[in-house]
Amino acid sequence: MSWFELNEEKFHHCCQLILQQSEQLSDGWIWEVVQGSKEGYLRKTALRSVTIDSKSVQKQKGSSLDPEPHTSYHSSVEQQGQEDEQPDCIKDDIDDEDAGICMMTANSSQVLQFEYHILYSCSYSSPVLYFRAFTLEGRSLTLEEVWNSVHPNFRLCLQNSPLDTITQQEHPLLGQPFFVLHPCRTKDFMRPVLQAAQDQHRPVNYVLSWLSVVGPVVGLDVPLKYSTQLHPAASLSSTEPD
Amino acid sequence: MQNLAVQRLTEVVMASDIGAAAVADLKLQFAPFSSALEAGFWHQLTQKKLNDYRLDESPKCIKGYYYNGDPVGLPTRLNLEFSAFDVDGPTPARCSPAAGTLYNTNTLDSFKTIDKKALLEKEAKEIWDAVQSGAAWKDPSSLCRFILLTFADLKKYHFYYWFCFPALCFPDGIKLVQPPSLLQHAFSAKQMAALQEAYDGLCMKEGTSAVPYFLMKYTDDTAQLAPLGDWEAFVTDTKKVTVGVYDPCTLSQHPGWPLRNVLVLLANQWGSRVDTVEVLCFRDRTLQGSRSIQHSIIFQVKLPELPNSSVCPKSVGWEKNKKGAMGPRMVNLSECMDPKRLAASSVDLNLKLMRWRLVPSLDLDKVVSTKCLLLGAGTLGCNVARTLMGWGVRHITFVDNAKISYSNPVRQPLYEFEDCLGGGKSKAMAAVDRLTKIFPGVNAEGYNMSIPMPGHPVNFSQTTLSQAQKDVEQLEKLISEHDVVFLLMDTRESRWLPTVIAASKRKLVVNAALGFDTFVVMRHGLKKPPVTQSVSTAADSSPSCSSASSSSSTPAGSAPSVPGSSLFSNIPGHKLGCYFCNDVVAPGDSTRDRTLDQQCTVSRPGLAMIAGALAVEMMVSILQHSEGGYAVASSSEDRMNEPPTSLGLVPHQVTHRISSGSNVTPGASLIEVQCCSCSPIVLDHYEREGFSFLSKVFNSSHSFLEDLTGLTLLHQETQAAEIWDMSDDESI
Ligand SMILES: [Zn+2]
Repeated sequence: MSWFELNEEKFHHCCQLILQQSEQLSDGWIWEVVQGSKEGYLRKTALRSVTIDSKSVQKQKGSSLDPEPHTSYHSSVEQQGQEDEQPDCIKDDIDDEDAGICMMTANSSQVLQFEYHILYSCSYSSPVLYFRAFTLEGRSLTLEEVWNSVHPNFRLCLQNSPLDTITQQEHPLLGQPFFVLHPCRTKDFMRPVLQAAQDQHRPVNYVLSWLSVVGPVVGLDVPLKYSTQLHPAASLSSTEPD
Repeated sequence: MQNLAVQRLTEVVMASDIGAAAVADLKLQFAPFSSALEAGFWHQLTQKKLNDYRLDESPKCIKGYYYNGDPVGLPTRLNLEFSAFDVDGPTPARCSPAAGTLYNTNTLDSFKTIDKKALLEKEAKEIWDAVQSGAAWKDPSSLCRFILLTFADLKKYHFYYWFCFPALCFPDGIKLVQPPSLLQHAFSAKQMAALQEAYDGLCMKEGTSAVPYFLMKYTDDTAQLAPLGDWEAFVTDTKKVTVGVYDPCTLSQHPGWPLRNVLVLLANQWGSRVDTVEVLCFRDRTLQGSRSIQHSIIFQVKLPELPNSSVCPKSVGWEKNKKGAMGPRMVNLSECMDPKRLAASSVDLNLKLMRWRLVPSLDLDKVVSTKCLLLGAGTLGCNVARTLMGWGVRHITFVDNAKISYSNPVRQPLYEFEDCLGGGKSKAMAAVDRLTKIFPGVNAEGYNMSIPMPGHPVNFSQTTLSQAQKDVEQLEKLISEHDVVFLLMDTRESRWLPTVIAASKRKLVVNAALGFDTFVVMRHGLKKPPVTQSVSTAADSSPSCSSASSSSSTPAGSAPSVPGSSLFSNIPGHKLGCYFCNDVVAPGDSTRDRTLDQQCTVSRPGLAMIAGALAVEMMVSILQHSEGGYAVASSSEDRMNEPPTSLGLVPHQVTHRISSGSNVTPGASLIEVQCCSCSPIVLDHYEREGFSFLSKVFNSSHSFLEDLTGLTLLHQETQAAEIWDMSDDESI
């Protein structure tokens, strides 16, 4: 049964393969090394334009467990706050009369930045997905806001998913707050995947298979080409017992 | 050179003669950069401000980057992430770097008053110097610069900021000769393939994954690219020169900002000698593994003359705020940076995890919003408080009159050695301090007061009497203000008054008491609202029921009896007894250990932790029951049935004996009609006479209550019961 386990060495090997494929597919995964340490993690950022559903944000605020009203990134709330504290405009000393600027039209959608990290957890012997989402100003979204940025049809199905065990934790390497898909169920859903691969003598990249299951829960796409591109020779043949 | 300047001047005059209206719609317009800050950037700025910069306001070098592979619809961004402060660090693959200058002010006032125009002009001058010296030809990335003005309010975690992307301007703009068109309309597939290959070749040659500016020559089936600096050797035909720019914009009619300064560079050097400049805005995106450059745009401009090459041209570049006005932005990051807020949201999320994972119907709000009054801040009080915190309970109030002694900290997890010094701090106050340290989001209060007890006279003087009255009033007020009262004292008598008050006010009471190696945790029966209460209790409760208790129920571990067979099945919450109603020993436990050391006054250390934890868990289960304190008492037999709450059984009481290894045994007891504490006659007297009745109880010997209710003496019961109220403070 040991091949169901993912040790750190295997994890790094799997990550290397993903990086190679990502490079070919320009999928944006990079290996980030923590300064002054040999530890690192896979990292990817993605931008998404989100239409703000103000009603659902309001509705979510009923529960006292949800942090105070400041939870809301509802634009009107935020702007009100800003108007009070915003330093005065400094129009007088800035001349922006320039015909060369193309006027950008504001639309109702907001661009959100998503950041995904894949780390190895020694305690669970499995990969762990850390993520956060923030506005272009760099303000991290609360979990409720992240859910609200997901299309309502998906939201319900995601919240009932057995994978939605999301908590907030300090990033073990960066010390900044991130959301974490809790790894406690990882082995449960990986076992059949690995078993099937073994039965069919099919090579499998543990981290990639895992990512294709958990990624979509938090809006992270894993292009199909990763798996079609997976060449037996280049892949980690974790199906073969050592 | 002078001739050249004169010549240019005349051309400017000639150009301005052309009708302004006709030219206006043919002028080139650039899409400005939008600043895009990653959460990590602010974290890093905070660290820098705290550890490196401190009060240093001098400009700092930082680094941003932009990307030409965005899908349509995204704004043209200049990104700053946590690595922005590591100027020598790598730029993300396929991204082009931009050098920046950070001005972090120490006050909001200097943020507001700093001369923005001067900052822009200073930066523009540097770009202009690079243009004039020719340095920009060798390092064209120096043309793409930015300024970031910040003020970090680290008390509120408010960050004020304003970006500027300096661009040198031609006084009359840039005339479009041929409007932008998509590359796929201008180039054949073969040409695009050749261009893509040539670009990759150039990147490889330059040792980078993104070349910001390049020169280009092409035929019907070939494309040749060269670095900007190779102009002299590469450009042979000055009639039309093609310049490529790595373009972060996704608009089909406009180039992005990085083109601006390179056009100034070209105009300054070659202005009059080049007829037309063809601009390729190179956009290179990969979607689902498929790469394409066909959405790049291409157009032609007439390079304008710069009026006077020795004077830095006018510059623009301060970013508009979200409202489209010329002004700075503010972002409030307290939620993700204020440790107290982080603690609060993490605690909540942690609890939600329990709901998501294991108990989907768990109503956490009911638990979290419960106001808990802890009477006693000793071993039990400390453990109850910690468990309540674990459940996310925010409102916790302690009542205790003791001071922390040297023997306490090892058993009472809210206190430390230091708390014992100088006579010891008040337990109630020290407990509040510690809770706040453990979790600043808690709303804790402490009351250093004693609870008057039966048989402990308060009538020594007018002062003691009025003090007792004040204490009673305070206790009544506190019980009214809370939802659940925990009785966690170390004397039996001190539980009497709060039991009476809470019964009268219909407040849920959870009682925990310790023996040497056994404990009881129970909920008091919750009486029905006053109108119907007295009649029904009297009719329903029969004394024989309670006396039968110890013999009728099954010992733990034996086969469950037929459901409903026990006299203790289905006792509704309003008929359940209180701590004083009868023996508090569980009905199932008939094998009493008579060899206990009757002299021992200290309980086994692990007991309070178990009992304290169980008391809280019992409260949570009760809260989850749809009927709350009126819930029917679960018995051992109910273990086989569908549990009444998402968290399982809601027993009346649980007892545990460590020495015999017996499990926690649920049991139930009926209300005692003659109870000295919760019987109608006692409540009736309390409600009618108030303190005058209470003071009689305090001042008289036990016989007063005995006479009133006809019950055995409190103190005798204490002797008989296996549960003592044990104090950790008592020395023998
Ligand atoms: Zn009673």
